[in-house]
Amino acid sequence: MATLAAQLLLNALALGSAYALVALGFVLVINAVGAVNFAHGDLVMAGGFVSIALAQVAPDAGFFLLPLVLIAMAALGLLFSAIAYFPLRSRPPVAVFISTIATGIMLQNGANALFGAAPRAGPAIAGKGMIAIEGLLLDRQSLAIIAAAAILIGGCHLVFTRTRTGRRLRATAEDPELARLSGIPVPGMIALTFALATALAGTAGLLLSNQYFVTPDEGMALMLKAYIAVVIGGWGRLGGALLGAVIIALFEVVVATLLSQPMAEGLLYAALLGILLVRPQGLFGEALGRRA
Amino acid sequence: MTFDTIAARLALCLLAATLVSGSSHAADTIRIPVLVPLTGILALEGTSQRNGAVLALDEGVPNVQIIRDVADTAAAPEIAVNALERALSEPNVVAVAASIFGTQMLAMMPIAAERRVPLVTISGTAKLTEMGNPYVFRFFPTDAVVKRAQARYVVEELKRTRVALVYQTTAYGQSGQQHLTENLKRLGATLVFEEGLAPTVKEMLPVLTKAKAANPDVLVLQLHSGPTALLIKQAAAMNLGVPIVAGSAMHQPSTAALLEPAELKGVCAESSASPISGGSPGIERFAQTYRAKFGAEPDAFALAQYDGMRMVLAAVAKGARDAESVRAFLASSSYDGLAMTYRSDGTGNMAHDAVILCYDGTSRVPAIVKRYAAGR
Repeated sequence: MATLAAQLLLNALALGSAYALVALGFVLVINAVGAVNFAHGDLVMAGGFVSIALAQVAPDAGFFLLPLVLIAMAALGLLFSAIAYFPLRSRPPVAVFISTIATGIMLQNGANALFGAAPRAGPAIAGKGMIAIEGLLLDRQSLAIIAAAAILIGGCHLVFTRTRTGRRLRATAEDPELARLSGIPVPGMIALTFALATALAGTAGLLLSNQYFVTPDEGMALMLKAYIAVVIGGWGRLGGALLGAVIIALFEVVVATLLSQPMAEGLLYAALLGILLVRPQGLFGEALGRRA
Repeated sequence: MTFDTIAARLALCLLAATLVSGSSHAADTIRIPVLVPLTGILALEGTSQRNGAVLALDEGVPNVQIIRDVADTAAAPEIAVNALERALSEPNVVAVAASIFGTQMLAMMPIAAERRVPLVTISGTAKLTEMGNPYVFRFFPTDAVVKRAQARYVVEELKRTRVALVYQTTAYGQSGQQHLTENLKRLGATLVFEEGLAPTVKEMLPVLTKAKAANPDVLVLQLHSGPTALLIKQAAAMNLGVPIVAGSAMHQPSTAALLEPAELKGVCAESSASPISGGSPGIERFAQTYRAKFGAEPDAFALAQYDGMRMVLAAVAKGARDAESVRAFLASSSYDGLAMTYRSDGTGNMAHDAVILCYDGTSRVPAIVKRYAAGR
């Protein structure tokens, strides 16, 4: 029984780690531009397919695929911001919503045209198979997901708290006008935020695609999970989004085991409604005063 | 004869020649639009459907020019309706290869009935052939056929009676669950565990843990392609130890491609056919041509739509040049296709056979282990 519980918690932690990367990128863009990027799930999906393409070029890259995906997806993030955000940045937020929805559909159809509609398995970054310890089956890829997510989230924390660029990014997110008056190149910081958020989304795509496959049409479900994570944790709160992501994974694994998957899903939404009623600012409180 | 008279007669001759030529062209040129989902939730199955239809139509019929325009119906009924309206605005449409997506078919059917054009589909939605619409022809067996075969294989061949059933909470999954439950109970099996999963569920350990705790002797699945592969992968990792009899999604080569051959050991699935398994020179030729043309492995959806369009062309070969003649042929004739013999049951259901295929754990190509012919 204890072994099963440990196994379930490990799986939940691995899934939650990948979701945390999705939610982290999602909340970074919300903070930077004050609008929801509805294509964020499609960028996760794109990360899965980019990693499949890169693995064909470098089949033995293993863990080194991670930096390659980060770089490729950061470049895609810059392109995405140039297409979906900057031309509309002076318009009302609804224009950005629609623009990101449209760009997401373009990403979906592009993936469908390039890779086909069938589910595809992404590359493994830590080899295949299980490690058995005391009856506990530790999947190599699950461990790699947890490790990669921990490294990236820790790295983001260091960048935001210990570097000049990180402070500028935070200043831009907190008050773009004041940041501009302080001499911070706000458009550059916003573009950098899109690059970072897309790189994190792409990494989540890489990590999820091996364990759970990737299809061109799965972006919306992932975006919804990120949205829920942010609402649970507190709108604009980085730590809150990470906690929200882990809570979602716990519902999907632990509660689904104790009850059933439909019950777990229903209870997750019931919990979400409860939070909105009792503590609408989320568990960590809102960092932003406006909600998209 | 004056110059004016000569010019007038010449003009008349030219007009007559044009009319004759025009009527001859109309008689030997037919249109069969292919309106299927190439994007959206059924893009995988819709692409197979498109490929099967295109392959059949490109093989053609002697002395008949076939125009086949392909349109993507995506995932919305209104897109399918618009595509159908646009296609029917062209002359000489004798039939339509119509969407596998049941919701789109339900929207297209009244238009087809009004315009008297047969829709040739592989959609599994039961209601399509229960509405009394004489212009719908389904070339893929319904759940009533394939789920009966799946249940019979479990009970009669594997001799398993303690069934754990995992199904999708979509229309596809619930229809299969209903037919499986009825058939398994009728055959004397007991459902010791049953749970529905949303298609977005990624982690299969919870459902497998509970299924295993119920001590089943067989696991029966009715899931879409990705979830089928996810569940089988997880079952292999935890060494579930009971055979798995899956739904038709497992027969798709793209599903098997997600799994290692060893993970497929002991896995079987129902389907209408398995083109990659061979079985006849015609099917092997079909599979080779399909691979050469599309660079992909064919599945039963492609083969069923291929057979459907070849039956339409059989009507054309026998002289049918309008939609009503094609409809009459489909409604009243029997056709020996590559997968099976097709004949309408009076409601437009043309396919009545099913097969069970199993993987031996050494390759991703299954072998057909049992055939269930119509009514037996």
